[in-house]
Amino acid sequence: MRSETKVGLMFIVTIAMVITFSYYLGVLNLFSQKNELTIAYNFAGGIEVGSPVRVMGIKVGKVKEIKFDPQFKMPNGEEVKLKVVISVNEKAWTSLRQDSKFYINLAGVIGEKYLEVSPGSLSSGELEPNSILRGVDPPRIDQLISQGYGLAGKILEMVENNEGSVVETLNTVNLLVVNLNSLLKQTNALAKHKEAREILKNITTLTSDLAYFTGNLRDKEGKKTLKLLNKLIWRLEALDGPQIKKFLQEEGIKAKLF
Amino acid sequence: MISVIDSIGLSVIKTVIMVRDFVVLTLRTLVYTFTPPFRVSDIFKQLYFVINESAPIVIFCVCSAAAVTIIESSFHMKIIIQNDALVPGFAALLILRELGAVVSALLVTSRVGAGIAAEVGTMQITEQIDALKMLGINPIRFLVVPRLIASVIGGVVLSILANLVCLYVAMLVSQYKLGHSAGSFIVAMRAFVSMQDLYFAAIKGACFGFVIPLVSCYFGFRCKAGAEGVGLATTNSVVTISISIITIDFILSWIFSYFY
Repeated sequence: MRSETKVGLMFIVTIAMVITFSYYLGVLNLFSQKNELTIAYNFAGGIEVGSPVRVMGIKVGKVKEIKFDPQFKMPNGEEVKLKVVISVNEKAWTSLRQDSKFYINLAGVIGEKYLEVSPGSLSSGELEPNSILRGVDPPRIDQLISQGYGLAGKILEMVENNEGSVVETLNTVNLLVVNLNSLLKQTNALAKHKEAREILKNITTLTSDLAYFTGNLRDKEGKKTLKLLNKLIWRLEALDGPQIKKFLQEEGIKAKLF
Repeated sequence: MISVIDSIGLSVIKTVIMVRDFVVLTLRTLVYTFTPPFRVSDIFKQLYFVINESAPIVIFCVCSAAAVTIIESSFHMKIIIQNDALVPGFAALLILRELGAVVSALLVTSRVGAGIAAEVGTMQITEQIDALKMLGINPIRFLVVPRLIASVIGGVVLSILANLVCLYVAMLVSQYKLGHSAGSFIVAMRAFVSMQDLYFAAIKGACFGFVIPLVSCYFGFRCKAGAEGVGLATTNSVVTISISIITIDFILSWIFSYFY
């Protein structure tokens, strides 16, 4: 074999290896059709070109481009300044619907950012390729930290301004806890006492009797009795002091009422 | 006192002359590289010498280095965080960004650089270069240009080849020694590595390949008579190229850091 041929073979092997490498790296994908979508965000949470796009947790594409567009407005008039162009595999395309949501999430130990697409409902229509959709802005950790910092500052300020009353409140709480502790100790000692145990036993019996009695009241006869009693009270309600007096006098009973 | 100052002055003058001669050689080589006639058959001969004959040694050594890298990285990560799930990723990155290009360049230096210096040096002391000049053949166009072209292309090819075979070996080692599957290796690799790393490795390979024949030919042309002279030229060329490679690697890494 000539040296030129051997050199040529080496070149071919190298090129083939580069192609294989780029295929495994996801840069080159000769065998699948992809559709593109543009997702608009106001905050993209650190997503980068090449970050994976997942539908139901399965990788189906990647972020192709990130564009700044200060003039852009959504059809509802909302100003959205960042456009993220994503490619989605043909196989997963039908899972994406008009009401799909586009989240930016964090995965793995290294905190890899990815774009998660919720599949959406079947009743919504399929998406058109190259359409522009509004994504769900991820929470801003820096903002949360800043707000937390502000809150902590305010609490500190409040404590500093009311130092005397705070100390007094703490002392009172401390006293309360001491008293509560003592009370609990006494209750504990009482519970161990023989008479206390008997009292508790009697209370238990009493409550069970009461329960039995009120239980009887709830049965058919009891309800009937209550109904009759109710009727009687209503009838008696019309009777006032003079009439009762008159009634009693008629009956020959002398009494001083009211 | 005066003799000391004399020797310092002499050293400075010698260094300046050496640098001047090297710059002149580089510029003349560059001019001849881009002007016809092109000695295609010589270029292919040199390509065969640089790529095909060096590839087995380079691949074997770089793969061994890669295997050591991934095993050591795993060992260290297990000490620190008791987990080596990310080792395939950053070992692959280390291989692509540094190991593949530099180790293969140093191996090419020891083989090709030393070979060129010895060959040109022998031609110099046996007056073959003077004979070329008498025949009206420019020694730079005849000797340096084909070697430079072959070495630059060879540097790129060997760097890419070594890196990719190296990654494959790293994957095998992580599979059979560390217990990661091929899929998890690729996933971890994809989290860290991009095509840019391979491009930068190729650029590094080209730069190292540019230095090797120029320095070797420079020391070959300056070779003094006798076997000792050839030995000295070879040694000097290998040492100078090795230092140059390490220095260029640092400069390139610095420059590339602005692109990440």
